[in-house]
Amino acid sequence: MYIFLIGIIIMAYFMVIAKRMMSLIASFRVQSVFLFLATLFMAMKEKSPELYILAGLLLLLKVILIPNFLSNIVKKLKMNEGIGMFLNPLFSLLIAVFLTYLSYMFTTRIIAFKAEAQVISFAVSLSVTMIGLFIMIFRMKALSQVVGFLVMENGLFLAASALAGGMPFFVEIVIFMDVFVSVIIFGMFIYKINKLFTHIDVSKLNTLRR
Amino acid sequence: MAILPSIVKRPKTLGILNAVGYFLVLSGFSWFILKADLPVSFFKFFYIDALAAFFIFTIAVVTFAAALFSIDYIERDAAGLLISRNKARAYYTLFNLFSLSMFLVPMVTNLAMVWIAIEMTTLTSAFLVGFYNTKASIEAAWKYIIICSVGIIFALFGTIIFYYAASNVGVKSLNWLNMVSAGKGMDKNLIKIAFLFILVGYGTKAGLAPMHTWLPDAHSQAISPISALLSGVLLKTAVYAILRFAIITNKCVGINFSSKLFIIFALVSLGVSAGFIIIQKHMKRLLAYSSIEHVGVIFLGLGFGGAIGAYGALFHILNHAVTKSLMFFGAANIIKKYKKDNMNIIRGVVSSMPFTGIMFTLGMFALIGMPPFSIFFSEFLILMAGFGRGLYLASGLYLFFIVLIFGGILYHFSKVLFGDKPDDMKAAKEGLSVKMVFVFLFILMAVLGLAMPAFLNKIIISSIAIIEGV
Repeated sequence: MYIFLIGIIIMAYFMVIAKRMMSLIASFRVQSVFLFLATLFMAMKEKSPELYILAGLLLLLKVILIPNFLSNIVKKLKMNEGIGMFLNPLFSLLIAVFLTYLSYMFTTRIIAFKAEAQVISFAVSLSVTMIGLFIMIFRMKALSQVVGFLVMENGLFLAASALAGGMPFFVEIVIFMDVFVSVIIFGMFIYKINKLFTHIDVSKLNTLRR
Repeated sequence: MAILPSIVKRPKTLGILNAVGYFLVLSGFSWFILKADLPVSFFKFFYIDALAAFFIFTIAVVTFAAALFSIDYIERDAAGLLISRNKARAYYTLFNLFSLSMFLVPMVTNLAMVWIAIEMTTLTSAFLVGFYNTKASIEAAWKYIIICSVGIIFALFGTIIFYYAASNVGVKSLNWLNMVSAGKGMDKNLIKIAFLFILVGYGTKAGLAPMHTWLPDAHSQAISPISALLSGVLLKTAVYAILRFAIITNKCVGINFSSKLFIIFALVSLGVSAGFIIIQKHMKRLLAYSSIEHVGVIFLGLGFGGAIGAYGALFHILNHAVTKSLMFFGAANIIKKYKKDNMNIIRGVVSSMPFTGIMFTLGMFALIGMPPFSIFFSEFLILMAGFGRGLYLASGLYLFFIVLIFGGILYHFSKVLFGDKPDDMKAAKEGLSVKMVFVFLFILMAVLGLAMPAFLNKIIISSIAIIEGV
């Protein structure tokens, strides 16, 4: 189990230092694979069919469909310039590690957990969520904001699993569907942005001031 | 409840059918409140108590008004070739999907379903914000969906922690009723943290500063009937979600925690909006900032608490929805006629569009809180609640900001309304449906100000009982 969690957080670090769009998406894909394996492991341990279904959905949506959808967008829009960064990779990585430290402190101090696996799971999930937020804020391309959103959602899924053994099954399914639809809609808007502005650099979206 | 018109072709017929549909919804629901014995629940999925009913009523009122206004507005857009016929039909489809998702929010029991419904509102309204496909509106729509998605992720996180806290005491469900009954036993620290996430997360959607940055752009760029829906109702659905969680939190850690948080965020919102209103150039943006102000007022009422504060806040929710819709519709008419949105340039509205001008003037007075209009009373109630609790600093700041905004809006809109109209502009008349909307909203504003209808009074008082946890 630990190996999956380590995999998840390492991929988060990879995403933070990614310089090109494709490597960002690829790292996200690998992180989702680790998340899928973690869920599968829990499903086998708890022997619950619902967790199997969730793991399957994870595989389908976050490993296959969504990253493919995003890569298609990258190919269609021919984004070769790479992700604009407000903070260079090294500094970003330092911040990511710092965020991980913060989450760990938060987890151990505030929430009283019984099992050690739970502590690490929750700490990882919290750091992944915050790193996702970091990616959303500090990267200039609209598509990277979408990836950041998805990373945050990965973190949240892990948090829910760590805390409560997952939310009620029905809820998880609907959340998945919801994330999927959101990504489609984000994609549609990215097309629109590209058509109107001929770039998807959000730092240049500043016609509306005050 | 949502009528999906994909069959009818002509925008005008579509609009009329749409409006009739919403009228039926509004009257049906009002009848329901009068007769039915709340709380009502069906299929264990929907649960409508007095609090929910009040919100649904507000949503019904505003969606009806917006549907009515859309008839003329969309038709003129289509005639003026600003949008194509098909786009007009798409508008009505999106309109109905959007209002369906808004209606869902107060109707469902499960707190995760509330989350999903609110997420649905963001997704459906995104297209309505970027409707005109201009650079500015697509930028606004993108900011809107990104910032609100971050917000609801925080809210989801808070929901997860609430769920965890509840399951620790044996309540493994997100059903609101169950969670309230688990109230006292849950871990206090967990709940405090969870509530903070909920407040920041849903507060983003509600327009609380400092998470409000998407609001002026989205509300000003959206197509005008939708701006009314966004400002009037969508913000309030987020308030509803926060309220439900606050009730659980209050049960667990006492009311001071949420109270303090509400007051702080509210005062920040009031301050921020006051500042931006004074330096504002564009009508719709000014109205958007005014919405931020009024959401601040609502939270101040909830924060001050007690029966008076809660009454004021709930009453204000309805009042602001009605008044702000009227203002947005008026602004829409003005912008359509003058073809620009710059308050430094537009002059003489009362002369060139007498009906709209007068309505807009009256609406302006209502919005800034003049008696005998309804907003005066709800704002005053909240002020009384503040003094009653001895929170003189907060109440003083509240008064200060309200006065600033009073002055700011009065100054800006008077410039626009009075004076001579530009020479080349002819006075014009508005369509019948548009006049109907204004009259309808105006009557609501005046009536609610002068006398409180009995059934509304009963609902609000029952809602207060729910909020206080009786």
